[in-house]
Parts: sequence; structure tokens; C-alpha cells
Amino acid sequence: MRLFLGAVFLYAGSVKILQPGAFAEAVYSYQILPGAAVNLAAITLPWVEVTIGLCLTAGLCLPGAVLLSTSLLGVFIGALVFNLIRGLDVHCGCFSAEITHGPVHMLTIARDLLFLAISIYMAVFVFLKGGHSRS
Amino acid sequence: MKGTPLRQALRQAAALVFLAVILGVVTNQWRDDRLSLIGDWSAEARFNDPSGNSLIISLEESLRLYESGEALFLDARPESQYVEGHIKGAVNLPWQDLDRYFMEVLEKLDGPEAIITYCDGEACDLSHELALFLNETGFENVYVLVNGWSAWREAGLPIEIGL
Repeated sequence: MRLFLGAVFLYAGSVKILQPGAFAEAVYSYQILPGAAVNLAAITLPWVEVTIGLCLTAGLCLPGAVLLSTSLLGVFIGALVFNLIRGLDVHCGCFSAEITHGPVHMLTIARDLLFLAISIYMAVFVFLKGGHSRS
Repeated sequence: MKGTPLRQALRQAAALVFLAVILGVVTNQWRDDRLSLIGDWSAEARFNDPSGNSLIISLEESLRLYESGEALFLDARPESQYVEGHIKGAVNLPWQDLDRYFMEVLEKLDGPEAIITYCDGEACDLSHELALFLNETGFENVYVLVNGWSAWREAGLPIEIGL
């Protein structure tokens, strides 16, 4: 489970690092960050994901990595739901940096909720069982 | 005891984020397609043609061309939004479904002096993408009316509903 979540973060981060311009467009289209912060988020966020992915797969700094993965997934889901509620036609930049992949729908949120559930499960494991995930 | 693992996690998380920010900024500086750290996402900075010339047309100028009948207005939004309301006389050419609509609309593009594309919202890029495509296809005098549908409707200018 740890390796799976790590691979998800590694993949999601790498795709965005390969296409910085397209990912910046995706961040902008969410209309949450002020314009001046869009590029900085687009430059750093994929590396945060890759760092989390590396730590999870390698089993390093697990408490920090799990805290970050849970927080990030929470923020992503919050942003998706926020835009869904306010009716903004955003396109999910979660797995592909391309903006033409169709509108966000419930499946995307359900998928991220599954990842969040895994992350929370791992957090419980890491924090309550002394820092070692055996899953 | 409960505070200790959390403090450790917070310390590690801060260190990981710091590392990631450094990696992100440094690798960005190395690449050919680097982004500027502070981006300019204003309409004026975004709605340009490949040579950097602005494609933006003002509401006043759009209205002048509308009243003189010199401009064709192209609504780049999906058909479902076009049906709910659009600039009176505008033709629907949804950017996300261009292949399906383009041949149908093509014959209407040759007559007018100017083509004005629009969608809705400052962040909407559909009109810009459509204008760039028309430019590349060889059409001249193609402009973008930024936040066109809202700006037009809020100014009380002629609109219509349905197809």
C-alpha cells in the first residue's frame, strides 16, 4: 500500500515536471491562487509530490511524508470540490498536465478520496504503531 | 508521548518541502522551457499571438464592429452554454469540439472584416485558443473579447437564447 501510494505520487509529480507550462495553465485554471503565485506553485508542487513519492517508496522519513501526502490530498480534494460547487469549468491537472482532458467529475474526486483514505490509513499506522508501515 | 511523533513529522515535512522547493527552483533555472518565478497571468499578458501581438479587442470596439455588421462573433464555449445565452447573431464554434463544428462554420468565416471570439470569465482560454487556431489557419483580423459573454450581457447589449 505504501509502495502504491508512493508510485502514485512519483508518477503524478513526474508528469507535471515534464510539462511545466501546461501544469501552470492547469494551476491557473483552478482560479484559487493569485496570479503571482501560480508559477511558483507550478514549479515547486510537482517536486513536493516526487519527494513524497521517493520517501514513501524508499521508506524514508515516513512520518513527514505521510503527513505531507495526507495534507496535499486533502487540499487537492478541497480545491476540486470547491470548484465543483462554484460551477467553475476546470480541468483536472492531477495526472496529466494537459488541460483538454475533460471536466472534473465525481470519478476524479472518488479516486482522490481513495488515495486520501490510503494516506490516512498509513498515517494512523505510522503515528500509532511507532513509525513503521508493514502494509 | 503523543506530541513527539507529530513534532518529528512536522520537522520532516518542513525539511521535505524545503528540499522540494530548492529542487524545483534549481531545475527550473536549468531548463529551456523555464517558467518565470513570478508569472504574469493578466489577460494582457496571456492573450497574444505567437509573435507577441495582443489579440484583445475592447468591448467598445467590438460593439462598433457589431453595429456596423463588420464582425462575426464566434462563441467558443460548449453548445450547452451557448444555448443558455449568447451574443445575438454569434455563431457557436466550441473549441473543445472543434472537429465536429468547424466545417459547418467555415463558410461563414470568409465574409466578415473581423472575427471576434469570446467565452466567459477572465480565466477562460477557449476564445484565445480558437483565435490562435484561426490565425494559424490563415484568417486575419481575429480578436478576443476577454470575458466576452459576461461583459456583453452586463453592458445590456443584444443577446439571444437557444440555437
